Amino acid sequence: MVNEEGGQLYTIEGIAAGLIMIMTAYLVVNATSVYTAGDTHISDMHLEQLGSDALRVMDIPESIDKKSPLREIIEATPVDNATFRSMFLNITNNRTLSGPDHLQFTAGYTCRNNLDNSIATYPLSYSRNLTGGEHAVRATKWVIVNKNVCGNNYFPVQDRAVLVEVLMWRD
Amino acid sequence: MIDDNGNLSIDFLAGFTIFLLAFIWVVSIIPGLLIGLQAYTIDYDAVAYRTGVILTEDPGWPVSPAWESYGDPRKSDIKRFGLAISKETPHILSQDKIVRFFNISTTDPSVGFIYPDDYQQRAIFGDYPYRFNISLRDLGQNEIRSVGDVIPDGYGYIRRVVKIKGASNATIIGSNYTKSDTVNTHVFSILINNTKLLEEVRDPAYQIDPSREQLTINITNMSSMCTNITLTNLKIYKLDSGVYSNVPLPASNNPFVDGNSTRLQSSWPATPAAVNDNVTLKFYPQFIDSMKAQNSQIFIAMRFDVNPACRFLNNTQALPDYDNLVGKDTFENLNTTPFDYNYSNNVTQPKLRDAVLAVAVW
Repeated sequence: MVNEEGGQLYTIEGIAAGLIMIMTAYLVVNATSVYTAGDTHISDMHLEQLGSDALRVMDIPESIDKKSPLREIIEATPVDNATFRSMFLNITNNRTLSGPDHLQFTAGYTCRNNLDNSIATYPLSYSRNLTGGEHAVRATKWVIVNKNVCGNNYFPVQDRAVLVEVLMWRD
Repeated sequence: MIDDNGNLSIDFLAGFTIFLLAFIWVVSIIPGLLIGLQAYTIDYDAVAYRTGVILTEDPGWPVSPAWESYGDPRKSDIKRFGLAISKETPHILSQDKIVRFFNISTTDPSVGFIYPDDYQQRAIFGDYPYRFNISLRDLGQNEIRSVGDVIPDGYGYIRRVVKIKGASNATIIGSNYTKSDTVNTHVFSILINNTKLLEEVRDPAYQIDPSREQLTINITNMSSMCTNITLTNLKIYKLDSGVYSNVPLPASNNPFVDGNSTRLQSSWPATPAAVNDNVTLKFYPQFIDSMKAQNSQIFIAMRFDVNPACRFLNNTQALPDYDNLVGKDTFENLNTTPFDYNYSNNVTQPKLRDAVLAVAVW
């Protein structure tokens, strides 16, 4: 039996102090991960940039007397999803010094119905169905088309803005 | 126990043990936590991205005269590479800039750019001596260009999708331009109206700008008209405010004859060049730019001599006095006007081509 208890730690306090120190040290060290973008973010950024570039390039006319391929695809009736598919896959999957990449996508476009002010989204094209398990990133591009999209059939044909949206991921 | 002094209590021992175990555990996971930092990898990716942006969205510096027009002796004056045709048209690259950018030499500093030094200072930037590989796949022409080392493991990377704007060119079928009399000396002239070229089309992506891109003019099918043809001379005139002035043609812009891959030597025009069937003119943008002719009209007058006398290329004067050409009488003759290099007169403007640019940095 110890009679003099001055300067001693009891077991329960020791354990509590140890746990607090563990938690503190863990939180402090782990906090650095907040500032680290990490590999996932970098590859996401690559994909987003690539998708954004692809849509932008597809919306540039090949010559001054032509419309952009993206505009022609949406203005076609029905929408020319095969051309979008082949063109998008071609420019995004081609690499410079090695074999082709394995990117997949699903694309749609969104526009506004002037009559009831509603927003509608229509499928544009896809290379593979999105099942939910993929780690997809989003790329968008506003495109001006001369067509009564989104059920605007009550109005004369005029230039309208549609938002093309592509979800893309790597197999 | 009578005296406890100098003993460790069981409580302290338990607490200290837990602390030590925890400390060891935390220390052991620190390297794993810092993997996410990967300072170099993130830096590589950032540098690759920055280089990709510079190359695809910036025309480089200097802009006028454009950096790609600087020959190897003056390459130290190039401050920044950039392949876009203008800052208003990102993603649309210039064919001339691409050719100049990938003009590399591994040994001779006086020929082309040297990897990595010339590129580090003008495209990669930063104090760290990065190694890199920059490559371009032209999907339209199925052609790959690259500069740099073989890519190792652990590198930063970016891939950009772009368009390439090729230079315009014209093919003149000689037999379509025989308006002359049957004589031994003929003059064929071509007009490059810079003012009209720059005003009719404002968008740089589709504009013919002789001070920014090479012009190519092929004159073909000559052998069907005459024999013993010689290209005796070629004169350049510039029209500013109604005044014609002669501009000497530098040897670097001499014509090509009969599909030859090299230009006529400096001995021409003192020694006339024999022509069998065709002549090709290629004017570098720096020549046009050096003329300060962005808002002028340029006339190219070629003298051909044939034997025996025959009807040949002549759209300027019926019986020209080539040595004493005067602008107004020569080029403003309503009956025989120069071939106009414009947007609709036999000039081919290639379509914008898809391409992929990749930058790897380590």
